[in-house]
Amino acid sequence: MANIFPRWTKWVPLKIIIALTCMGTMTAVGVTYYFTPKYTRVGYQPIQPVAFDHSLHVNQLGMDCRYCHQSVEVSAHSSVPSTQTCMTCHTQVKNESPKLEIVRQSWETGQSIPWVKIHKAPDYVYFNHAIHVNSGVSCYSCHGQINQMAVVWHDQPQSMGWCLECHRQPETKLRPKEEIYNLDWKAESSKAQREMGQRFVKDWNINPPESCAGCHR
Amino acid sequence: MKHIFQHPPETGTAKAYWRSVEDFSNTEQFQGWLNREFPQGASEFWGDGVSRRNFLRLMGASMALAGLGLSACRRPEAHIVPFSKTPEWQIPGRTLNFATSMPRRRGGVPLLVNSYSGRPIKVEGNPSHSLSLGKSDAFAQSSLLDLYDPDRSHRFVKAGSASNQEEFVKVLGELKQSWASSQGKGLAVLSEDNLSPTEDRLRAELAAKYPSSVWSYYEPALGSHDRAAAEAAYGKGARIKLDVEKASVILSLDSDFLGDEATLSSIRGFVQGRQVENADSPMNRLYVVESRYSSTGGMADHRLRLPASRIIAVAAALAKEIGAKNLPIFPDLPSLDIDPGWINEAAKDLIAAGSSALVVVGVGQPLQVHLAVLAINEALGARGNTFQVTRLERPDSVSLTDLVTKIRADEVTDLLVLGGNPVYNAPADLDWTSLQKSVKSVIRLGYYEDETSELSGWHLPQAHYLETWGDAVLQEGSHGCIQPLILPLHGGLSSIQLLGLLLDVPAGEGKIFVDGPELVKETFMRKAGAFATIFDFENAWNLFVRDGFLKDSAPRVETAAFAVSGTVVPATGREVSPAPLGKDNLEVVFIADSKVDDGRYINNGWLQEVPDVMTKLTWDNAALLSSKTAGELGIYSGVQVQGITADGVYYSDVITITVDGRSLDVPFLVVPGHPDYSITLPLGYGHEKTGRVGQGVGFNAYQLRTSTAPHLVTGATVVKTSAKRHDFAITQEHWSMEGRDIVREAPIAYYKDNPGFVRALGIESHTPENKSFYKTPAFDYVKYHQWGMTVDLTTCVGCNACVLACQAENNIPIVGKDQVKKGREIHWIRIDRYFAGSQRDIEMGKGIIPSDPEVVLQPVMCMHCENAPCETVCPVNATIHNEEGLNVMAYNRCIGTRYCANNCPYKVRRFNWFDYNQRQLDQLYWGPLGPKGVEETVKMSKNPNVTVRMRGVMEKCTFCVQRIETAKIDHKVKTQRTERKIPTDSLQVACQQACPADAIVFGDLSDPESRVNKLKKRQLNYKLLDYLNTQPRLSYLARVRNPNMKMPGAELVGMSLVNSRIHSHGGHHDVHGTSGDKPAEYSTEGRAH
Repeated sequence: MANIFPRWTKWVPLKIIIALTCMGTMTAVGVTYYFTPKYTRVGYQPIQPVAFDHSLHVNQLGMDCRYCHQSVEVSAHSSVPSTQTCMTCHTQVKNESPKLEIVRQSWETGQSIPWVKIHKAPDYVYFNHAIHVNSGVSCYSCHGQINQMAVVWHDQPQSMGWCLECHRQPETKLRPKEEIYNLDWKAESSKAQREMGQRFVKDWNINPPESCAGCHR
Repeated sequence: MKHIFQHPPETGTAKAYWRSVEDFSNTEQFQGWLNREFPQGASEFWGDGVSRRNFLRLMGASMALAGLGLSACRRPEAHIVPFSKTPEWQIPGRTLNFATSMPRRRGGVPLLVNSYSGRPIKVEGNPSHSLSLGKSDAFAQSSLLDLYDPDRSHRFVKAGSASNQEEFVKVLGELKQSWASSQGKGLAVLSEDNLSPTEDRLRAELAAKYPSSVWSYYEPALGSHDRAAAEAAYGKGARIKLDVEKASVILSLDSDFLGDEATLSSIRGFVQGRQVENADSPMNRLYVVESRYSSTGGMADHRLRLPASRIIAVAAALAKEIGAKNLPIFPDLPSLDIDPGWINEAAKDLIAAGSSALVVVGVGQPLQVHLAVLAINEALGARGNTFQVTRLERPDSVSLTDLVTKIRADEVTDLLVLGGNPVYNAPADLDWTSLQKSVKSVIRLGYYEDETSELSGWHLPQAHYLETWGDAVLQEGSHGCIQPLILPLHGGLSSIQLLGLLLDVPAGEGKIFVDGPELVKETFMRKAGAFATIFDFENAWNLFVRDGFLKDSAPRVETAAFAVSGTVVPATGREVSPAPLGKDNLEVVFIADSKVDDGRYINNGWLQEVPDVMTKLTWDNAALLSSKTAGELGIYSGVQVQGITADGVYYSDVITITVDGRSLDVPFLVVPGHPDYSITLPLGYGHEKTGRVGQGVGFNAYQLRTSTAPHLVTGATVVKTSAKRHDFAITQEHWSMEGRDIVREAPIAYYKDNPGFVRALGIESHTPENKSFYKTPAFDYVKYHQWGMTVDLTTCVGCNACVLACQAENNIPIVGKDQVKKGREIHWIRIDRYFAGSQRDIEMGKGIIPSDPEVVLQPVMCMHCENAPCETVCPVNATIHNEEGLNVMAYNRCIGTRYCANNCPYKVRRFNWFDYNQRQLDQLYWGPLGPKGVEETVKMSKNPNVTVRMRGVMEKCTFCVQRIETAKIDHKVKTQRTERKIPTDSLQVACQQACPADAIVFGDLSDPESRVNKLKKRQLNYKLLDYLNTQPRLSYLARVRNPNMKMPGAELVGMSLVNSRIHSHGGHHDVHGTSGDKPAEYSTEGRAH
């Protein structure tokens, strides 16, 4: 009987299996890295209609976060400021700068400035700023070193897993209430952070929700 | 999958933006707007040419940069668009509450409306007002949807084609000139009546300016007999005010004072006398004589069903027994075929109660009955205790029939129709359609472009009460404020604005209509009394607007003498007819529908879909008959004719009702407990021209209604319309508990003798303890709240306020008639209605529906079982139990297996079979090929704190988890995390907040002081299907009745369940009868003793 199949076909099934396994593993690895918020969101740095420089306003001029983000302590939204807030200074300070032309036009015509949204949670997630900033979580923990950003970028992945990391171990992220808006503050060491955090958890009755109803309604 | 981001609305330009809905109804246009960097047409909105050009130049530059930058490649760009100038008081993400009132023909309802980001999203009662104390009713809850109705009128229409406000003002100016010269000759106004003091004031000024003009009010469902009787007895302007909470014995003659004719105070007053804390609690007693099964009949301790035209005989007999003086002259009375002991004993009970007795009468009863009831109440001494006389002076107006006479005499050349819909609902004998056509010019102010607008020369869009300034006389007579929560969405006008223009009231610079509170302020100044300085007045005005009403403005109680003489005009022949009723001489009773009222809410999808309390009918009306009548008419022969076909659809024959030569084809429903030879026809359906929701729904009963007999008429005949059949969408088709003890009730005497009867009735009392495989989770009552709820069956009247409040709060969509037929309605809370027992002949196995059952209502929503059967079977863990005892639903995790709904023994889980929010309800089965999209205004009505669910997701009552979380967060922020738990009873869930009977109580079980803890300790507390060991957090308080043991049949009142359990020995199997669905407690065996 003649050999119907050439000899090299003996290895084909094994090669197919190996190839599929390799491709599957690479796909899995690729998705795990490239498709997660840690890659897709972190670093997102869109161009804003007005080149607002946080490092100038916060670091150099010393403005508090809450001067502009006024409702962060009472509301779910931290609220991007209205043009009126900008104009509290810029009617006098740099009131003819070309960089602020859009702000002035917005103030005069009443049209809003369409800031590009960087941190966006899905519609089925209900995040509340007020409870977090009143519980010892600083802006830094979720938004990074904003006070040093000339143009804001997305610093943390803000995925559900990332949220749960802190919800399960709040002592790693809590800081004294006076330092919440001090974005440069750092704990002396991670051990000190833990000890201090555990103390806060006890004193402030911190028990972050880990059940679905905490954020999904 | 493309993820579509939505821009928040424009700021500062909100007025221009929302005025034209056309911009938004075109979804592609809207998408195009979204995809550009900046809004389309930015240049059209503001500023002059120079700044617009500069702005665009600058925007263009940065737009180009943004386009070149690859940020849009990485993620679709979303925008945050804050205000330019921040409006006062608004904090993004928080609601503001504004007090206002909902104007209604019998008195307004004080409200507190939640406003989010400048738009109202939820209506609540005004907690500061003694009438409401935070409670509201079905119409108030659903009025929010009317505001955002996309089918609303949004344009000025001249002779059928679109026009504008300027054009109208010009035409009106010319008319005013002609009126000025003729002193208003030929001017007539036909208006709906909303009891507005400002409208009354302007009306009087109009009459002074145009003395020859005529003003007429027409409210089809108002009824005039009660006011006529009050005025005949106590003088002009007299009104009767009921104080039901002071009554210990109440007798209702066809008055649905807990349902269709309810006020918030009548319901609260009644249920306050019904609180059964223990067996010694004093309970009030309710006798009801009625012509259909109403909510009030459901609450009755003793109920007598009689055709409406026979009730006058009861009134006469009662008056004789009680010895009332100053009775009106009765016509020939029909004979009553009832046990005379019923009336005698009831009369004795009323006499014994003396000044704590109260007799109430329905609006549809003839004038004599009203007068007789007033006399009876006087004889009992109830005046000053359970009812008071107050006075409401109003300027004179003519009736509709008088206006018709004038039109026929060619005395009316210009007719102003304010609200209402006379072409649709005017009495059929007046032929209003041709009358309106004969008037030279008709200007109509209407909420929808409806039948009346079609025959009007001009149609003006009417504004909703949430959009305008106004005032109202509230239900107990105080002066209420109506303040707008949003600018008119579609440029609508209110009637007082139109009157202001007619009276040339100065409107301010550049304005034609007064759009501020000036008109209301003027009325307020006259009402509120003298003020020392302008500041005092402004203060008082601000308090008025803030509170929503003027304190202490309820009219004083009067002590006028009762003086009915015997010369009162008798009723017309057709209302009171002594001839005996039979299948050739039927009576027809017209009632305002419990959902669409007199037809004004026909386009409100929420009201269409909420099931009627007794018939559980949705999206339809039907003639209501008794089974005996249907049998004699040959339109009902056993269960087959009106029953369930193979596909599970409830249907009936279509019958033709003929009265006085007018006919109506209408389907019918047999209602247990309906009187024989009487047909109840709900009004308000069968519109010929209305919005998409209401089009083609129901049958127009106004076609049979005449001006001489607007409430009831005898002499009707019925013929079966051959070969026609009508399908119904009924949510609860049968009323059997299938042998289980779902509702538990007993008379209070039985409760006294057997304090633990509630447990004894349940299966769990004589089955072995359910030792479950699963460990009941241990809840931490110290660290966490533990939420629980009780529902009191003794006080629930079935008003549907909870169902609608839940729908408004939780963004629950409507599904349409087709889907309701399949049982797919999405209401998270439903009110089950069970018929119980019968005092007359029930022969259940023989297929005859009981003729005299009692009714028990039970609101059912998610029980939040500690051992939830639904949680264990979810393959993706989308439903879990949280540490506070809530059964939580994560919509984004649900893949739509529906195993949880399968496993739920209470059947409280609802599945989104289609995308009911975005798809057209009549084209659902086209799936992805069907039209998609929802109008902007509908989106505005959604509560932003609750997810809007899409197709394929399971949903159910969440105990308003959004309110729970908000309350917890707010308290922790306020106390800076020093307090772990919210204050006692500080949180109300939506259904609890709306319930006027306070039947639903929600609270924290870990708090020993909370009200829900106290209620759960009552002996009447029981859990539904306890033997399943689900450990529900929601429990019920059993229904207790208070029969008068001397009344005929008293030993059976409330005893159906007890009898069926106790009189059948050895378990439940032998209690079931021959047919499978014969409910045990309704069997004859139980009663034979």
